[in-house]
Amino acid sequence: MLTEQSAYANRWRRVSPVAKGLFSLCGMVAAFAAGSPRAALLAACILAAATVLGAGVAITHYLRVAAPPLLFLAASTLSLLVSLDFGTPQTGVSLHLAGAEFLQTALVCSRSLACLSALLFLALTTPLSDIISLLRRCRIPETLLDLMTLCYRTLFVLSEAVHDTMTAQSARLGYTTLTVSMRSLGSLISNLIVQVWQRSLALHSAAQARNNDGALRFLENSYANSRLSISIAVGSGCLMVALTIMLP
Amino acid sequence: MHIMEGFLPVTHAIGWSAASAPFVAYGLYTINKRIREKPEQRMLLGVAAAFTFVLSALKLPSVTGSCSHPTGTGLGAILFGPAAMAPIGLVVLLFQAILLAHGGLTTLGANIFSMAVVGPFAAAAIYRLAKAAKLPFGPSIFLAASLADLLTYITTSAQLAFAFPDPAGGFAASFAKFATVFAITQIPLAISEGLLTVVVMNALARFNAPELQDMNVTTVLEVKI
Repeated sequence: MLTEQSAYANRWRRVSPVAKGLFSLCGMVAAFAAGSPRAALLAACILAAATVLGAGVAITHYLRVAAPPLLFLAASTLSLLVSLDFGTPQTGVSLHLAGAEFLQTALVCSRSLACLSALLFLALTTPLSDIISLLRRCRIPETLLDLMTLCYRTLFVLSEAVHDTMTAQSARLGYTTLTVSMRSLGSLISNLIVQVWQRSLALHSAAQARNNDGALRFLENSYANSRLSISIAVGSGCLMVALTIMLP
Repeated sequence: MHIMEGFLPVTHAIGWSAASAPFVAYGLYTINKRIREKPEQRMLLGVAAAFTFVLSALKLPSVTGSCSHPTGTGLGAILFGPAAMAPIGLVVLLFQAILLAHGGLTTLGANIFSMAVVGPFAAAAIYRLAKAAKLPFGPSIFLAASLADLLTYITTSAQLAFAFPDPAGGFAASFAKFATVFAITQIPLAISEGLLTVVVMNALARFNAPELQDMNVTTVLEVKI
């Protein structure tokens, strides 16, 4: 997974996840506080620059992760730009460009871009295991954290099982036509469901053998100078919010 | 169908999060109850979340040629129960936002409501209705999975229309607009997912009948067929 590669191999890997989470939160606040598209775009640029120049995430990598949501944003924006008028029975239904709403659409689009940059900042600099630890500090219910931990630790195992099964199926002429694809995918998923049952029972036995009494807890990383990094993140985040509010 | 990061106004984002919260809380309550009765369910639901995430990475062959991925809402609701799908959906949507930049954190509440609340509850209700109407196993599963997908897509279109009413035609025009734009991918997806879920459940019923019976999905009679 592209985001995972960056999250583990960026310059800010050893910076406290609290600091990165707070800076990302400030980015989202700035996006919603921005009064004009220009201000929201400024926030988006600051956040993207922090990810690429600060954390050292390769620009090509960044763009590859950002491309699918950007395409989706383009489709959504297009539907906002077009206005549908049911009209009267005489005039009939008409479709035209919503000129008056152009500024509003530009604001929504730029706000979405700024929020996406804030999300990408967090996703590309912080591994999910750190984000789960961060959520534990926010007193998220233990059951939900257990679900997240188990999901994170088994999704790569299941992804590998999917990859291996698909390779085996393709080698046996699976996925050749539409009907065969449907049958191959159906047998792949049903096989995966059985694996879900079997793996969960094996995990349960393994946890019981280690005297597991409920919550799944793992050792958390410790971060040097976390107070300093939190102060810097909050300071620069607040500055970004102030800039977006002040910019006309 | 995900609403992307930052697309909804702040009041809508908070409103949909508040609307989803009771369902997630109820889901957690039922999960805790299930875990107390059967401790092995904790691992099962965790792995089920990973399974739902992995499903979204698979490419679904579509009848119109457009390529999309299965959502797994109908399948998950039938296998693990609709109430458990709200917390599982939350985890999957959060992971999709962070690992794939698909969906978002500010729109998490709205996405949970459409994909982890409306979809699974609709699938479970339709499946029960179909069973009550004594429909065969295959058509019941097809209806549950495909209508759950369609209702999810209608909910998302309504959420977007509610946030951005059309200046000329209001909510109705905006809803028609969003529903038409997304229909190109969502209607073939619903049909494909319905068919796929039937293939999956048939394969399970044929080869893994005991597991399905453990989950109270099928009766002995259905499995024999």
